[in-house]
Amino acid sequence: MDTLAALGHGFLVALTPYNLLWSAIGVTVGTAVGVLPGIGPALTVALLLPVTYHLEPTSAFIMFAGIYYGAMYGGSTTSILLNAPGESGSIVTAIDGHAMARQGRGAQALATAAIGSFVAGTIATVALTFVAPLMVKMALLFGPAEYFALMVLALTTVTAVLGDSLARGLGSLFLGLALGLVGIDMQTGQARLAFGVPELLDGIDTVVVAVGLFAVGETLYVASRFRFETEEIYALKGSKWMSREDWSRSWKPWLRGTLLGFPIGALPAGGSEIPTFLSYLVEKRLAKRPEEFGHGAIEAVAGPEAANNASAAGVLAPLLSLGLPTSATAAIMLAAFQQYGLQPGPTLFDSNPELVWGMIASLYIGNVLLLLLNLPLVGLWVKLLLIPRPWLYAGILVFSTLGAYTLNNNVVDLVILWVIGLVGFGMRVLNVPVAPCVVGLILGPLAEQQFRRALAISQGDASVFVTHPISAALLAVAVLLVAGPMVLRHRQRMAEKAAEKAAANKAAGRSGTTPAL
Amino acid sequence: MTTGRTLRVGEALLGGGLLALGILIAVETMLTPSTGRSVVGPALFPYLVAGGLVLVALSLLREAVAGPVAHQGGFEMDGAAVAFVAGGLVAQFLLIEFLGWIPSATLLFVAVARAFGSRRLALNALLGLALAGGTFLVFNYGLDLNLPSGSVVEWFAPDE
Repeated sequence: MDTLAALGHGFLVALTPYNLLWSAIGVTVGTAVGVLPGIGPALTVALLLPVTYHLEPTSAFIMFAGIYYGAMYGGSTTSILLNAPGESGSIVTAIDGHAMARQGRGAQALATAAIGSFVAGTIATVALTFVAPLMVKMALLFGPAEYFALMVLALTTVTAVLGDSLARGLGSLFLGLALGLVGIDMQTGQARLAFGVPELLDGIDTVVVAVGLFAVGETLYVASRFRFETEEIYALKGSKWMSREDWSRSWKPWLRGTLLGFPIGALPAGGSEIPTFLSYLVEKRLAKRPEEFGHGAIEAVAGPEAANNASAAGVLAPLLSLGLPTSATAAIMLAAFQQYGLQPGPTLFDSNPELVWGMIASLYIGNVLLLLLNLPLVGLWVKLLLIPRPWLYAGILVFSTLGAYTLNNNVVDLVILWVIGLVGFGMRVLNVPVAPCVVGLILGPLAEQQFRRALAISQGDASVFVTHPISAALLAVAVLLVAGPMVLRHRQRMAEKAAEKAAANKAAGRSGTTPAL
Repeated sequence: MTTGRTLRVGEALLGGGLLALGILIAVETMLTPSTGRSVVGPALFPYLVAGGLVLVALSLLREAVAGPVAHQGGFEMDGAAVAFVAGGLVAQFLLIEFLGWIPSATLLFVAVARAFGSRRLALNALLGLALAGGTFLVFNYGLDLNLPSGSVVEWFAPDE
């Protein structure tokens, strides 16, 4: 009942006209950046950090949460009407959603996405309301060793689940960790890797890295591909309403998507890609007509869209209760907490209940606002897709340099932005995921702090990490996540070789030896 | 047309770059005299990160030689467009303190729009000017953040 009382108090905070205004601004901006290609929630929150410096933290976080949720709604619009996903969580939606738009059923696809997002977002926010306090109770059992192990686990999952090559993911992660080392060491005051540049003593700002990778790197990449790719936007036509059949085919995928999205988002497993892919596979397996998948099956839009919204709520649970970011947007939100001198975690629930619960309550309100914004007003958002790309990307870069410059009012940040942007471009070309770099940059220094604290308590005995059962278990899972796929891939390669050999044998007329696959 | 071969070179560059970074961090950490007296000094984590970088770099180099490439079947890229965007950013950080935010941001806007194939220079410059001017007004007068007006302007119109 404590939780309900706290939530009720949160509603009192979130329902003040001032905070309602910020929530409305957040969901509107969020939907817009979700719709626009080339700009996402992580980048938007990063760009808004300097602007919100003078704002009340509660209002700022209510706005950020609105942006995060709003981007999940808006991303689906781009996926469905344009043959390019607006957000990484909407990649799967693009497959069947775009097929539906080609058949003139774009409005139904948008409707099932919006209503599914609302259903999933609301259920997942309820889950967040009750899971977060439980995680706080769990976190109170954690010492520095456990925190360190948990952060290692988060870093490995973000790395292992993204991208098609573990080496590329780890490369991105270690680049982020290396960038995180720059600056004055918090515990001894010693400068590290500053190379005599005074501006580097404060460290490399997360905002500059995020903007460099997500805005500059992305713009360079899109510019390099722009001449070779064509976009086709489908206009909305015909009936705007979902038929009875659409409803009956949608509601179960919504619920299943929610069930997949929330827990996977809440586990340190890296954002919304995994649950959306899983939801797609599950719906395909359960569908009466799986052959429709890929050609405009409404289930394939309903399930993944519900899953990505539910995962957004899930991601907030470890962020608020443990201070653990599991996606790029969450990492930037953690940077926002640090800007205000706040440390998310169990103490935040005690020291700033109006912030935590006001933010959670605002998610309920934001969901309702988003349903209103996205269902009747979807036509307005579609207009955003008509902005000519040259102006859109030119504007994104002007705002990016503005954000980077106003952080500290110095040119060095613009130079770092340029360098990171070029690195980000190279990473995009080579299919290196960028999220591990951002998460590594923000989580690396925190992990180091816990690591040194743990060793200070144990007086230099490094075995604390494996003798504490929780810490040992978390580290074991992390090792499994890295080693598991490697072993599987190795065995797969062996099996392929054996199969090739068998095929060769067969071709040579010496069949009979069948390899065990 | 970029081929798989070029992408392999790219991946080798990435591996080589991370290798160099790892060695740089290790050497720099070695050269920094340690001041801390705690159990774990400020040098341990840099060494761990350097070690990780070297290992990952070696594995990337191996992948560059024998592993799968990023884009099967080639990949086309427009080098001129990349140069326009990158050049626009360089021009901006070189000029921002001298000319000020408004002209340098306008220039960036025009350069990026050109990279995306828009040749209507006058219209783009006008739009860029409106955006740069608008943000200058909002940030300097509305939000109390300081965007530079440029040392050139201050020569001619010094404020007190």
